[in-house]
Amino acid sequence: MSYLDSPRIHFRGWFQADVSTINNDIRMFQNDSFVPEYQQMNVNGSWNPKGTAVFRILDCSVTGGFLDGRALTTPQDDAVIGLTVQNSTERAPGKLVDLDPQQQMVSMIFGMQVRLAGPHAEALFEGEFKPAPFTNLWKRQQTGVKMDQQLCAYYQSVLDHVVWSGNIDSNLLTALKAATQDDMLSINFNVYGFGRDPSLPRYTMGHLVGTIGPYRRGEPKQFVLGRQMLSFLTMDDFPVPPTNVNSLQALLAPDGKSLTADFGNTFPIVDASGAPTNLGTVQLGVLRTNPQARITTVESSDLVLIGEVPYLNETWYTQTAGVQTFDLTTNTEAQQLVPTNPLTLVTPLPGSPPSTYNVLMQESINGVYVRADSFVYRLNPGETRQVQFYATQFGKPLASTAINLSSTEGFMGGSGGGPTVTPPTRPTAAIPDIGTPTDALEYLDSVSTDANGRATLDLTASADGPQNPRGYIAGQLYGIDYQLADQPAGYISNIMNYISVLVFDKKVVPDRPTWYQDIQPLFTQYGNLYPIMSQYVVDLNSYDAVVPRIAILKLAFSLPIEDPNHMPVTRDLAAGDRDTILKWLSNPGTDGKPLLGSPPTQPVQIEAPVTPAEPPAAVEPEPLQGAGKTLFIRQFKARRRAKLERESGGE
Amino acid sequence: MIKLRPEIISGIRSAASADELGVYLQNAIMLEHSTIPPYLTAMFSLRSGTNVQIARQIQEIVIEEMLHMAIAANILIAIGGYPAINTRDFIPKYPGPLPMNIGDLQVGIEAFSIDLVKNTFMAIEEPEHPIPIKTVELESVQYATIGQFYDAIKDQIQALGPSIFVKTTAPPQVDSPDWFGDRLFVITDPYTACKAIDLIKLEGEGTSESPFASPGQPAHFYRFGEIAAGRKIIPTPDGFAYGGAPVLFDPSGVWPLRPNCKIADFAPGTHARTRIEAFAYNYSALLNSLHNTFNGEPSQLETAIGVMYDLRTSAVALMETDTGDQSGQTVGPSFEYVDIQGGMPTS
Repeated sequence: MSYLDSPRIHFRGWFQADVSTINNDIRMFQNDSFVPEYQQMNVNGSWNPKGTAVFRILDCSVTGGFLDGRALTTPQDDAVIGLTVQNSTERAPGKLVDLDPQQQMVSMIFGMQVRLAGPHAEALFEGEFKPAPFTNLWKRQQTGVKMDQQLCAYYQSVLDHVVWSGNIDSNLLTALKAATQDDMLSINFNVYGFGRDPSLPRYTMGHLVGTIGPYRRGEPKQFVLGRQMLSFLTMDDFPVPPTNVNSLQALLAPDGKSLTADFGNTFPIVDASGAPTNLGTVQLGVLRTNPQARITTVESSDLVLIGEVPYLNETWYTQTAGVQTFDLTTNTEAQQLVPTNPLTLVTPLPGSPPSTYNVLMQESINGVYVRADSFVYRLNPGETRQVQFYATQFGKPLASTAINLSSTEGFMGGSGGGPTVTPPTRPTAAIPDIGTPTDALEYLDSVSTDANGRATLDLTASADGPQNPRGYIAGQLYGIDYQLADQPAGYISNIMNYISVLVFDKKVVPDRPTWYQDIQPLFTQYGNLYPIMSQYVVDLNSYDAVVPRIAILKLAFSLPIEDPNHMPVTRDLAAGDRDTILKWLSNPGTDGKPLLGSPPTQPVQIEAPVTPAEPPAAVEPEPLQGAGKTLFIRQFKARRRAKLERESGGE
Repeated sequence: MIKLRPEIISGIRSAASADELGVYLQNAIMLEHSTIPPYLTAMFSLRSGTNVQIARQIQEIVIEEMLHMAIAANILIAIGGYPAINTRDFIPKYPGPLPMNIGDLQVGIEAFSIDLVKNTFMAIEEPEHPIPIKTVELESVQYATIGQFYDAIKDQIQALGPSIFVKTTAPPQVDSPDWFGDRLFVITDPYTACKAIDLIKLEGEGTSESPFASPGQPAHFYRFGEIAAGRKIIPTPDGFAYGGAPVLFDPSGVWPLRPNCKIADFAPGTHARTRIEAFAYNYSALLNSLHNTFNGEPSQLETAIGVMYDLRTSAVALMETDTGDQSGQTVGPSFEYVDIQGGMPTS
């Protein structure tokens, strides 16, 4: 079960993502070339240099629900409608964190608690949002004002360790509590309309609409084990899908008599307000055929319509978060076809009745689909983590089928920023390559699913780790592509479906770590990149400033990664470096202070990256855009074009 | 000097049970807490990189006020009580009198100034017998001092004797060497309770002979005195003088906060509104986590400390936010208790 099941609640409100932006450009990580100008507003597109990384929900309330086949929209329908969705009121707010400046497309929320607040703000349930990245990012917002983030996406995860309390007379909540398992709930929310112009009221804020439903033991946590409709968005077209609608997941009820689809991140919006772009009549249907390629039109004779998607209805989106259940009880044809045939999203061409439909989206070809549940990993040398794969065909488990793994760059690499930085880095900060050395991350090149369509892949970081191949920035990024071995020829995957791994470097903890030798290089980098910390909490560049804060630093560096106060907030510190810091903090010298050591006699030589990548592609920010994901994508595409040209020129 | 209503002392003296005495320990927690919002605000209003010494001195005092609050909470727990920290009434209304005050001193939420330190902070911390710095205006009104308040509590604890101390306190007391060294300890009997109260008095007021609470560390009144005088306090042949190293004040290094901002002063959908609400929500989270700490979850102290750090960073954008009324002022924090996050328009 998942948020697409019944019962479920829908909510809408605002979110704040007060991300820091200096670290959007990898060159800022080179301590030797860092200058204070880089901390200034709008320098190098840095639109929020003093960001706190806080991610929080505000003005968010339950707008709708679904129970026993019926949509609920008012407090008279159920007492849960109108209650508010909140974060923890007993600890620090959650944090939003990129994996790395060279992988900004999987930003994860850590340390966020979600609470359904009763009429007196009491928690009716509360649970931990299990850290998860956004996915299915696309240019959903069609127009924007200066600096608007027009890319939109959604987050899906579970609320973990859910505690129920309070007492209100809500059939929906009672049913939800009874339906869910393992003290979890499934949650999905769409984010859009994010503002980055400091003069806007919604600077660092955007809209959020989402759904909470039951979780069933053994099911994936970051996607729905159901039907996958794909926009067939390619790397070349990214971030605009060919028909201007984006991928969605759907679920056929076990009795086959209703189908629920999540259109929450599917339809384009005019601007940051979320007003829908008019695409005309849009209907969900099921094909009588099983085409083995993308189709652009379908004849009415090949199509059984299931229902219209009321996306232009003003209240529909906010009351349902775009989750629509279609009743199939009177549509026996659809009932027969849906279990074995591809779903399709269509819009009719003129004609009464229309004889032909434009196809906006169709189910994955032949209905086959494979997905890694968690797809972002941070690994220390010698550490092994398991990736859970789920293979399906038309939503049913695909048993004994091979999944092939191979390295990919995905959307990773590059500088994260523009072609140059101002002032230029001296010494020049080269843009490092990723994915090297290849043997620092080990995994099989194929795994096979079990009878339930599940497969497990071990990801192991080598004992020696990547050994600092990127020079001035620690660790290394690896991407892993996964495909079904026997997928149909011409199969088109979801380009978001690859695994991102940050492998940390090995660090042998010294017997007597000192400030100059071991701590200052690390702390200086954090101090440079996060002035909110260095200017207001503790100046990490200064031994004298750090010494009075030993207790708080010990605490923050000891907290688990899920804790909102975990340090560093960026969650990019190798275990060996962490242990070194903790050892340094815990072993004072005879003066009672952590060991200072001696300054290096000559400047520490920063090793150039072993295999410097091509210079950053010459992409300037779009007019009225700062640095960030949009620039990241433009640069990615330029790199990709240049690479393709190089490859074709070499033939 | 904080003048307490005289019936407070008589109430303590007539307390016949742990429950009755507990009321006044709850008052002590509230009093110690009530100084934190104005001190924190003054500290937050100092611009980054300026007035560093002043900021550090205020911060040390804030931390000690938290310690004193924790001590009072431990004593209350020791006699079988339950500290109540997570309620709307726990936070006094600013501007207004501090808890138990007779009403002669209005304490507000304001940006740092030397006048604020002299007229408010030093008045809060003034011992019973310092060198008089101002005339007493309400000669005829009977009042008690904080020193007398704590002395009365000590007397009554001794009068009621060891029997009011519960063997196994319901919520565990908070004993946190990492954060407060040996200054926060478990209270088990009249002796440990009185020792803890003496520490509150000492750190706040010093002794009758010396302004120092411990070597090199003047009591709060004198530490504020240093800021007001612009020099550290030092011993002299005939006593003490503000004649040591300079404590420099740069008036340009202060955000021009509008005093006593409230959430309702600002329209939804403005930076001022969303940021002041976020601050108040975080402050409420701090009180909630402290409440949990003293009501059965002592490990939540670290959570509370984490909230403190996020509170610090959430104050930064707030202090830089224009009030929007052409006054040139920026938004000061509000210490209202809120448990719902808002600030943006709902449509």
